[in-house]
Amino acid sequence: MSQSTLFYLANLLVYGGVDAIACLGLSMQFGISGVSNFGYIIFQAAGAYTAAILALPPDTANGGFQTYIGGLGLPFPIPWIGAAVVGGLVALPFTLLVGRRLTGQVAAIGLLVTAVMANLLINNFVPLFNGAAGLSVVPQPLHNVVNPQSQTYQWAYGLVAAGITIAIYFLFRRLTESPYGRSLRAMRDNSPVADALGKDLLSLRTSVLVLGGMAAGLSGGILVGFITLWSPGAWGYAETIVLFAAVIIGGTGNHKGAILGAVLVPLGFEEATRFIPAIGAPGLIPALQWVAIGLLIVTFLWFRPQGIIPEPRRRIFAKALAARGGGPVLRATAPSTSSPRISPSAAEPANQPGPILTTEALEVNFGGVQAVDGVSIQLERSRLTGLIGPNGAGKSTLLSALAGTATAASGKILYQGQDVTTEHTFLRARAGLVRTFQLASEFKRLTVVENLLAAVPDQRGDTFRGALRGRRFWGKEEGTAIERAAELMEQFGLIDYADTFAGNLSGGQRRLVEIMRALMAQPQLLLLDEPMAGIHPTLARKIGKSLQALCAEGMTILLVEHELAFMDEFCEPVIVMAEGRVLAEGTMAELRGQPEVVEAYLVG
Amino acid sequence: MSLFIASIGFGIVTASVLAIASVGFTVQFGVTDVLNLAYASVMIACAYIAYLVNQTGQSVWLAMVVAAIAGGVISLVINKYIYAPFQRRGTSPTAVVIVSLGVLLIIEFTIQAMEGAANVSYTMSQGATYTLGGLTLTGVQLVIIGLSLAFMVGLHLLLRYTRFGKAMRATAADRTLARNCGIRTDRVITLACLITGALCGVAGTVFAINSGSFGATSADLFLVLILAAVFLGGPGQPYGAMLGALVIGVATEVSAVFITSDYKYVSAFVILLVILAVRPRGIFNAGTIG
Amino acid sequence: MSGEPGAAPALRGAALETELLSAGYAGRPVVQELSIRVSPGEVVSVVGPNGSGKSTLLKSLVGVVQVLSGKVIWDGAEVTNWTPDAAARAGVGYVPQVDDVFAPLTVRENLEMGGYLLPRRAVPERITHVLEVFPQLGRMLTRKAGRLSGGERKMLAMGRVLILEPRAFILDEPTANLAPALALSLLDEHVRQLSATGASVLIVEQRARAVLAISDRTYVLTGGRCQMEGTPAELTASPDFVDTFLGGRRRTGDPQE
Repeated sequence: MSQSTLFYLANLLVYGGVDAIACLGLSMQFGISGVSNFGYIIFQAAGAYTAAILALPPDTANGGFQTYIGGLGLPFPIPWIGAAVVGGLVALPFTLLVGRRLTGQVAAIGLLVTAVMANLLINNFVPLFNGAAGLSVVPQPLHNVVNPQSQTYQWAYGLVAAGITIAIYFLFRRLTESPYGRSLRAMRDNSPVADALGKDLLSLRTSVLVLGGMAAGLSGGILVGFITLWSPGAWGYAETIVLFAAVIIGGTGNHKGAILGAVLVPLGFEEATRFIPAIGAPGLIPALQWVAIGLLIVTFLWFRPQGIIPEPRRRIFAKALAARGGGPVLRATAPSTSSPRISPSAAEPANQPGPILTTEALEVNFGGVQAVDGVSIQLERSRLTGLIGPNGAGKSTLLSALAGTATAASGKILYQGQDVTTEHTFLRARAGLVRTFQLASEFKRLTVVENLLAAVPDQRGDTFRGALRGRRFWGKEEGTAIERAAELMEQFGLIDYADTFAGNLSGGQRRLVEIMRALMAQPQLLLLDEPMAGIHPTLARKIGKSLQALCAEGMTILLVEHELAFMDEFCEPVIVMAEGRVLAEGTMAELRGQPEVVEAYLVG
Repeated sequence: MSLFIASIGFGIVTASVLAIASVGFTVQFGVTDVLNLAYASVMIACAYIAYLVNQTGQSVWLAMVVAAIAGGVISLVINKYIYAPFQRRGTSPTAVVIVSLGVLLIIEFTIQAMEGAANVSYTMSQGATYTLGGLTLTGVQLVIIGLSLAFMVGLHLLLRYTRFGKAMRATAADRTLARNCGIRTDRVITLACLITGALCGVAGTVFAINSGSFGATSADLFLVLILAAVFLGGPGQPYGAMLGALVIGVATEVSAVFITSDYKYVSAFVILLVILAVRPRGIFNAGTIG
Repeated sequence: MSGEPGAAPALRGAALETELLSAGYAGRPVVQELSIRVSPGEVVSVVGPNGSGKSTLLKSLVGVVQVLSGKVIWDGAEVTNWTPDAAARAGVGYVPQVDDVFAPLTVRENLEMGGYLLPRRAVPERITHVLEVFPQLGRMLTRKAGRLSGGERKMLAMGRVLILEPRAFILDEPTANLAPALALSLLDEHVRQLSATGASVLIVEQRARAVLAISDRTYVLTGGRCQMEGTPAELTASPDFVDTFLGGRRRTGDPQE
């Protein structure tokens, strides 16, 4: 191979590494966590700038032809470390935009605008960034030890870049395949539901923004150290679209796809241009390159939205079975005849005095209507309380307010004696107050068993640190949780679907997943919103018995249901709501004796 | 002080351009449910078409009419053959936004490939200047303001007092219910795309006139101003977008005087980010054409 | 039973039928192999527990939900999977359970949209006619529909359909969200009235007892299939029916009767 070919290959390795690291960061944010960060390129720009000013001598030293802050002349690897740190720090203000409330396209627009604004600042603020001219003659790492022009240096640089890419790939995979990564994917698939299961969306989004920002920053640092230039023109928002194209084309939801996309899109396009003879006007080929990227985005999203390498189906259950030495062992632990042995988490709430939950004159607005209008109720511990009322009576809104997914306009909610009226949903969930939803709310791209595991509270591997410590740290606990999940799936007849994507189940099966998931959360107070709709009556009765058994063991349940036969058999007391108010409360027999109730609902 | 008054004048001109663009954007969003970021590229495509017409020796105002027609057709084609099929398939709104970014790249860089990266200008006279209590405006600027006012009034009359305008609002509010009323919503959406696309075409042309010269990617920053005006007024709200355009237009030009013209858009961005963070559904707070 | 089916003056309604109809979402049937019929001048109700497919049935009749197999027949001609606007044009008026008015439009504009298919000049006269039926609406013509109370809103929704003087009415739980007294008067005064003009009326209700009182025939749905069918008298005589759909009153002894 000729000298120039070897130089070229070393170059490819560096650029490929830079693009792959950036794509991995975006894959973590967009593919795994569902954060559409249209401002992503800013992190890379910030990292690159930081690396440059950390490596450069003070700006007085070079005759003042360019101005910048810093100029510390620090040795390798400090500029790279600085690049990663600043890339992460720059992400912090972005969390204001994608915090708890703002999601989806609105957040994406906010991030895009931030990126455009940052680029504007960079291009115009001369004292800090030297304006549109950018920075040049950035010292290369270890340039005084090895000659940067030598082939050895170039290859070493390329290999280091590749090495870092591989390290980051394994780091991100470790996070993604942990319970923490499962929480991120749950948030991506359905953030309100993840919130209601106790996931702190703000903290999850912050950590992926910072983590992705660090990867992007580092990639910028590596790039600037190689090309010795920092040019603002290189960080336009269109560059973000290129990285999105890479992740979409490679495949979202797995990091191999991100690397493949990096090789195909930013690297592949850049290199392909070199081999095209310069035809037409100058700038024609680059323009066509952009057109091609646009076409690729649209055609891939249409013909293969999952990308070249789709998100893998994680066969956790099959693997757990294999590890236990075959199916029968695990199944034998699940006596399908008895009720599931799931005890409420804190174990002794039944011993505490007083009602588990009290509302005082609670009012909630929903869609401009006073959906809950002065409701004062008490839920006694270890009871399976029913909640009935005509459609639109405010039952679901009441449930939402209790769980925190709707905000109370006035009044109070006391849970375990504490005022939780303004408490965040996820904190209520962590305190054992868990709700289910009326509409299908499974995490579609999680398997059934993953859906169940996502609800397990206080997992060792469900923190950033715990996930970093690896399977050895959380694997055993996960094994226990899988066994609990297996018992439930056995009982609900879904064990054969354990490793199926929940999004591929039938409507009734998805309802079951939802109930099982709520039970996995080991709530002290469980709010069920029409759990039996669409479920076969025989199975519904079986579930009713299980719920009753759970209450006997100390759990408290509030259940909305239309099927009066179900109320008759399992619920006591039953609360009747109509027009946002509580009409009556008592056993079904007592309620039938009240003309008001009969008129509003039973006869109705 | 006189500088301040002059900047108000510029602000009103910018606001007029912005109002035409934002109202088109917001009504299109209301009816089609697509946050169409490719809107900026359609504006530029229309400005170019007007440029080509202008180059043949025609008046720029006639060229604007051609641009309006082109805008309607391009918007219709993009919606009917790209966005609507994605929506029918159940693609998430965020993914459709990414699609629109892809469309943006395709249109802008096709123009660049055809016309090169250099900026172009219309051949036209700026007309006489008129001074009114410290405000100095050229004839062309007055025409732009007049056009904008005419479009706003016209759109108001259309939406409030015509059967089709009401059908458009009904379709934006609830497409299924509109169909239950016997409204052929496909036709309503088609016509709405033509109308908002025409606004987009006019906006592109007056934007190019107001900027003096323009290139394939010139409207990218302006898109952010449009988004600011649209979100300020609440997405889907034409009256909100009008008010938003006025606020953003004047804010950018006034801040250009007091900070530096390099940062004149920053104030608009700050306003937008604050709104997104505090009240993402806008001041008017509803997702439908009210 | 008020008003025998044949007693209506001039039969301007038409029959709406299904044959072994299955319908649902994303290829999964919610309603399965249902055959029903509503004749002119008749009030036919559909009752059943939540999730039994009542709303899906109605939506499939007017083309809002896809029919997967079987037929929908209107006025003797097969119209399976017609579009909602075609249904409106053919004279089938549908009042959905929720999202039944255009919230940002005024009451008058809502009525005008209801009369979209009419010749322009006929609209004011028809609005006057609707306001005779629902006089309460006359006082709030310029109010936005989103600001109406539950009862006013439902009257507007019915008025919006009434304006076309359709030959068949399809009503999805018109009394949901209404106070009991209002619900009963809506059913008694208005729904029954609709059939008196000869139109066919198909109504889904959760208030089983109340709707039986105004029905000529009733279908009972569970799990997307027809469980029982009959006149109100036949159904109330069946212990099974009473047990399941009237709240099991017989089992515990009924204090009301």
